[in-house]
Amino acid sequence: MDYTVKKVWSPLLRLYHWTFAISIGTLVVTGLYIHDPWTNSTLFGTGKFTMALFREIHFSAGFALMAAFIARVYLLIFGNKEERILSFAPVTPANIRNFFSTIGYYLYFGKKEHRPGHNAFAGTFYLLTLFFALGQILSGLYLMYPENLSIQGMGLALFGTQQEARFIHHLIMWYFMLFALVHVYIVIWNDIMDPEGLVSSIFTGRKFFEKKAGPSA
Amino acid sequence: MSRTLWDPEVSRRSFLKGCAICCAALGLSDDIIPKMAEAATSKKRPPVVWLHFQECTGCTETLLRASHPDVARLILDIISVDYHETLLAAAGEQAEEILRSTVAENSGKFVCVVEGAIPTKDNGIYCKIGGRTALEILNEVAPKAAAVIAIGTCASFGGIQAAKPNPTGAKGVRDILNTTPVVNCPGCPPNPIAFLGTVLHFLTFKRLPPTDRLGRPLFAYGRKIHDHCERRPHFDEGRFAEQFGDCGHKNGYCLYKLGCKGPETYSNCPAVRFNDVGVWPVYVGHGCVGCTEPNFWDTMTPFYERLPNVSIPGGNGINNSAESFGKKALGITGAAVAIHALAGIGKKLAQKKGETGDE
Repeated sequence: MDYTVKKVWSPLLRLYHWTFAISIGTLVVTGLYIHDPWTNSTLFGTGKFTMALFREIHFSAGFALMAAFIARVYLLIFGNKEERILSFAPVTPANIRNFFSTIGYYLYFGKKEHRPGHNAFAGTFYLLTLFFALGQILSGLYLMYPENLSIQGMGLALFGTQQEARFIHHLIMWYFMLFALVHVYIVIWNDIMDPEGLVSSIFTGRKFFEKKAGPSA
Repeated sequence: MSRTLWDPEVSRRSFLKGCAICCAALGLSDDIIPKMAEAATSKKRPPVVWLHFQECTGCTETLLRASHPDVARLILDIISVDYHETLLAAAGEQAEEILRSTVAENSGKFVCVVEGAIPTKDNGIYCKIGGRTALEILNEVAPKAAAVIAIGTCASFGGIQAAKPNPTGAKGVRDILNTTPVVNCPGCPPNPIAFLGTVLHFLTFKRLPPTDRLGRPLFAYGRKIHDHCERRPHFDEGRFAEQFGDCGHKNGYCLYKLGCKGPETYSNCPAVRFNDVGVWPVYVGHGCVGCTEPNFWDTMTPFYERLPNVSIPGGNGINNSAESFGKKALGITGAAVAIHALAGIGKKLAQKKGETGDE
């Protein structure tokens, strides 16, 4: 079978993806520790600041997530054709049709609609994930800078008290865990069902399309 | 000053001591103490009208029970509390008359202190004094005051009366008044120093102290309990009490795992402490319950868990801890993924069988 190679993901998008993924992994592990520390100690004078260390890693990873978020938002507007928001947000008629046909394809009904970038179903969840990332960033800043009055005003308006913000911060963490599980599964599933090099595309930026079918979008 | 000198109840020494305590709590320089003393004893100082609504009188009690007589006397004797239902000698018509005359004579000058939440449902009939609802009394007295100080969590944010399902529609003062400046001194009960500091700040500088976005004076509620807790080193180094009475608890380790809400609560309890004997909840081995925060009965419970429970949508009052809720969601998603994968494999197998059957 003949394949054409198409460059779809820019270096910045790939950098965003891996910064986002690694920071989320770090944030979930350190966040769970901060929520319910699974270690305990009676040692004094060892110079081991376990909780302080976990918190520091958590905050650093939080800033990495923030940088990745800003990069992705930039690419939504100024990225290449596949990275821009209108290529996958379910707002245009073609994308809405693709949204439902993708659900059908994922449920083993119907054929895959070939597109070079995200399908509209995945794209919708990527946008939702970015929205939740913004929620984590803002609630995280509120929890991290409790004495800044401007941040307090923002936090009270969006989340409520510190305790409520903490609760929301915790619940959104579970969304990221669910997303990671489903995302990795669907990507591998797609790669098996339709070999276009989906998994390697996030490392190399290249996708492969059968010459006969070709990218329809 | 003469009145203080000759007052048999408050010696000049203890009066100045009380002023110095408040000065320190406010973070002011020593130079202010004489000015504060002068303002507190000036003949022109504004009287205080103290209104009681839906409350337990715990805030008044905590002032009266202060083992430091200076602080309580300072409030009750030096600052003239003209109307205070708990402490008033007068009763019935006489008491009502005092309130009426104090408000009329000092219109625009007096300080109104509110203790307790105000019920608003059904025109506020759930709290009445002398035949008038709390809402009526507040709307009549407070707009004439120079400033309103809400003492306690109930007056500030509604407190336990406003906990779900809030049957009486209880609200804090700031949710009702929007004309008069309101300062909140929440706490259940609040520290007398936070209240007295606010009053003395007003008397000395003729304005209310700077507040945070919830109307709480920054000198007392500007920082979280966790950030100046004496057990904080144990937290940072990972030494925790796991259960009440265990080795960690006996050694005075951090109470984080026992559900201490210090990391979510703004107050100066660890610095100012209570009852002038240097104690506060975390010091004596019980976690903070977050009593200075809005909706604390709803959001800080269960008191011995870190986070409130998640109510299951559609379930009748069924709720679950956030962690087990998340684990269940993860389990269900994992199962869905497995079913999806199996369905794919099943379909492939069925197709293969079909193909071989055809041949």
